[in-house]
Amino acid sequence: MSVTKVRIRRRGILLHAALLFGAAVSLFPFYWTLVMATNSTEDIYRFPPKLTLGSEFVTNVRNVFDSIDFFGSMLNTLIVACSVTVLVLFFDSLAAFTFAKFDFPGRRLLFGILLGTFMLPVQLAVIPQFITMAELGWIGDLKALIIPAAANAFGIFWMRQYIKGAIPDDLLDAARIDGARFFRLYWSVALPVLRPGLSFLGIYTFVSTWNDYLWPLIVLTNPDKVTLQVALSQLNGTHQLDYSRIVTGALLAMFPLVIMFTIFARGFIADLAKGAFKG
Amino acid sequence: MDITRRRLLQLGALGLAGTALGGLAACGDDDSAGGGATGGDSKELTLWYWSGGLSKKVLDGVATQFPDVKVTMAEIGGTFKEKLLTTMSGRSGIPDITGVKGEDISTFLAQEEQFLDLNELGFDKVKSQYLEWKWRQATTKDGKVIGFPIDIGPTGLYYRADVYEKAGMPTDPDEVSAAMSTWDAFFDAGVQLKGKVPGASMVVETTAVFDMVIGQGAKRFVDENNKFIGDQEHVRRAWDLAVKTLELGINAKTPGGSQDFNAALVKGTLPSVIGAAWLALDIRSAAESTSGKWRVAGTPGGPGNYGGSFLTIPRASRNPTKSFEIISWILNPDNQAQGFTDAAIFPSAPATYAMPALNKADPFFGDQVTIKVFGPAAEKIPVAYEGPNDAAVKAPFYTQLSNVEAKGKKSDEAWNDAVSEAKKIGERLGVS
Amino acid sequence: MTTIHRPATPAVTRVGAHSAPARRRRGPWRFWPQYLAISPFYVLFAVFGLFPMLFSLYLAFQRWDGFGDMEYVGLDNFKYLVEDDTFWLSLRNTLIIWVFSTVPMLCLALVIAAMLNSAVRFRGFYRIAYFVPNVTSVVAMALFFGAVFASNFGLANAVLHWLHLPEVRWLSDPWGLKIAIASVGTWQWTGYNAIIYLAGLQAIPGDLYEAAKVDGAGPVQSFFRITLPMLRPVILFTVIVSTVGGMQTFTEPQVMIPGNNTTPNTGGPGQEGLTMVLYFYHQAFDNNDFGYAAAISWAVFMIILLFAVINWRLVQRRED
Repeated sequence: MSVTKVRIRRRGILLHAALLFGAAVSLFPFYWTLVMATNSTEDIYRFPPKLTLGSEFVTNVRNVFDSIDFFGSMLNTLIVACSVTVLVLFFDSLAAFTFAKFDFPGRRLLFGILLGTFMLPVQLAVIPQFITMAELGWIGDLKALIIPAAANAFGIFWMRQYIKGAIPDDLLDAARIDGARFFRLYWSVALPVLRPGLSFLGIYTFVSTWNDYLWPLIVLTNPDKVTLQVALSQLNGTHQLDYSRIVTGALLAMFPLVIMFTIFARGFIADLAKGAFKG
Repeated sequence: MDITRRRLLQLGALGLAGTALGGLAACGDDDSAGGGATGGDSKELTLWYWSGGLSKKVLDGVATQFPDVKVTMAEIGGTFKEKLLTTMSGRSGIPDITGVKGEDISTFLAQEEQFLDLNELGFDKVKSQYLEWKWRQATTKDGKVIGFPIDIGPTGLYYRADVYEKAGMPTDPDEVSAAMSTWDAFFDAGVQLKGKVPGASMVVETTAVFDMVIGQGAKRFVDENNKFIGDQEHVRRAWDLAVKTLELGINAKTPGGSQDFNAALVKGTLPSVIGAAWLALDIRSAAESTSGKWRVAGTPGGPGNYGGSFLTIPRASRNPTKSFEIISWILNPDNQAQGFTDAAIFPSAPATYAMPALNKADPFFGDQVTIKVFGPAAEKIPVAYEGPNDAAVKAPFYTQLSNVEAKGKKSDEAWNDAVSEAKKIGERLGVS
Repeated sequence: MTTIHRPATPAVTRVGAHSAPARRRRGPWRFWPQYLAISPFYVLFAVFGLFPMLFSLYLAFQRWDGFGDMEYVGLDNFKYLVEDDTFWLSLRNTLIIWVFSTVPMLCLALVIAAMLNSAVRFRGFYRIAYFVPNVTSVVAMALFFGAVFASNFGLANAVLHWLHLPEVRWLSDPWGLKIAIASVGTWQWTGYNAIIYLAGLQAIPGDLYEAAKVDGAGPVQSFFRITLPMLRPVILFTVIVSTVGGMQTFTEPQVMIPGNNTTPNTGGPGQEGLTMVLYFYHQAFDNNDFGYAAAISWAVFMIILLFAVINWRLVQRRED
């Protein structure tokens, strides 16, 4: 008996050791980024590299704040990210619900086209998208970032898979018998069950919108109204690579995301596990 | 019926797409769409530039100098050309004044209808103050000038005096210029350096040498008649010289401008860098701790030009007259001198070369007065024709050289491949 | 809640069977709620998703430099593409990088998920620690990894040096460069996939394993006979998403490879880091050859579609 107990404990320790190692690898770049952000650029070039925190953090941060409008652009990014997330969650879940649980003419074709756009390089759309924005008069406006992002093929793909697994047909049937029609089925029956899947999609959308770089760079022609990533790109001078400044900027930009994520992650990761993956 | 409904939807989608495309095609031909009228007297202007392209102090001075207009200075990050190009083809949000980088000017020259003729706005009267070969680079065949020169990039040889001393080489700039006036002499010194200072390399990378030698000549890869000249003697010579550095083992194979490059500058394993005047800023910011150890001498084989940008006025500018006034103020000799002090932007107005600001002893360079090297270099730069197709046609040469450097490909084989690829690309673009 | 069992007929998944026969519509009008439901998405999609797609298809048959008129050139762009060695090199590079990145990533993700499933304590911490890399911006991380793999002062070489192994010029060596590029993606997405697999694992009812144990199955057997098949839909999702994403690798090579004014965006020494999308970008924005760039991107699309279908077939062996 005690032998088995020892074996189980040893396996447990091994398991934790392996997991800890993996977590360390996962988290190491954050620590390293912090090291670089607290040192001067020349320290970064030392070999063997300096692995300890330096004292230049405040200087670097001040440098970043002097070079770009950090908080203004962060506010813009926040507005865009929140709006996009809400829109995506609503439109995508509605559409995915329809695709997953209902059959109607043209369903396959429409879904197929959707998957297709997924496979085209994003950069390709830059010029036609810009021209569209010009026609609509949205150049330089945050609207240009928010509205197109609501048509997110990935979101539909994910929600459809999730819905297939998480919502049994019986549930819908029972509601139908009680007199529920389509929109009620969506709103009162499906949505509550979809909460875990929605929070995953929500976080994912928020994060990717926050980090989006190429499109905002192109379409936000008004220098007073830019997002954080665009503002940070100004730190990347053509000739000089003031590394400590760039890294500090990146770290500061990451900060709100990491915090937000840590607060909400426990919730959504746990919920994700609950939502059965049966599809 | 099901089918009718689906068909209806499909037709609807196609119709939508078709109309959009049709509208777009029309837009493509229509010159005066969007953009706005020429002329205009808007009191609000936007100026686009990239980080380090203009002196911030000078830009701040614009507000005081022109109190009647509000000029927004937009520092654009990322790839400047990409953003400018997209904005111009979308015909919306186009700035009233924009910088154009030297390497991009030939592309934009091909689209000269998108820009205003600066001669008509007054450049005619001031152009004698600026180096002719430079504003010629932004002039169309009909004599229309679209770019007001900001700076030029006369080359020099930056070197670490302390490392040269260790290698038993001359350290005084005039001596160095004399000793290494030819590429062969430079290479010989490189071999000497290799022997005396292990780990150090004279040459940064193969393509740098190739680039520099081409820049010292009067011909590029496509001539004025759009004929391919990339297989001729001047290119072959550049190629051979570049490859020689590999054979002699004096090549560091480090991509210029990379972090490795920066680190090597600090360590002293790259004691020689041939580059333009603006490189001083790069070296300074990358290797502050080595201040005082650097000097500048003349370029082996003669000076070339590397870089140097322009300010332009797009046709969509909302106040061309004012825009020109602002540009000519920003780029007047006094402000150009300021630019040099602030951001190592080497002026394109020769009047500045005698000014005190440019004749200051630079402590980073051991109190050397660097204009003594760059000034004469600027006057001696050969004029060369660089067509819009040059960039695409020359690309295979650089690729194949990097193959020789990184993958050990045979030089002759790489040369043949480069020439045939370049010809193929040229053919596609209409080069004969 | 009482569940009412209906006979399981296909009618269950078809809408329109309103219990109250008040309104019975004919034909596709029955489906108006569905169309309405997908319409907000599809209207946006038509304008911002479909239109650029069609425009680029149109563009692939033209020659355009972004400003002037478009010139119709028929299949010229495609003909040139087929003979373009650089394109085929970029395809090869993309595939190699994708394999280097995706295969270890998905395997690691599965292993991590399995471990997380067994570990009881600190589960929350681990989940967060593994997922957090996904929260960073690719640009920042590419810059960071560029520093890690730098030849002269990078951490990677420092570790090799410490282990008394020869240093590698990561960003100049053909294989080193690919490994460096691939590692960014692997670092960012392994945790994300692990979490997804974990969710899938936790959905598998424990009784299946009990029953298997009773039948005498060992851990390896139950892994292959129970775990993998039950995980199939999840694995399918991750494989498809990784395929589509991985073959579009662009930001890492663009940011990590030191820029050169003369030959920007060309994938480094010997173009070993040139991926298909990077090549497309180079043609579009450096060479102003938008027609050719559009042709390239449609070729990329075809290739991605091909691989996605292949992967789909491989994973989803029996579609129910």
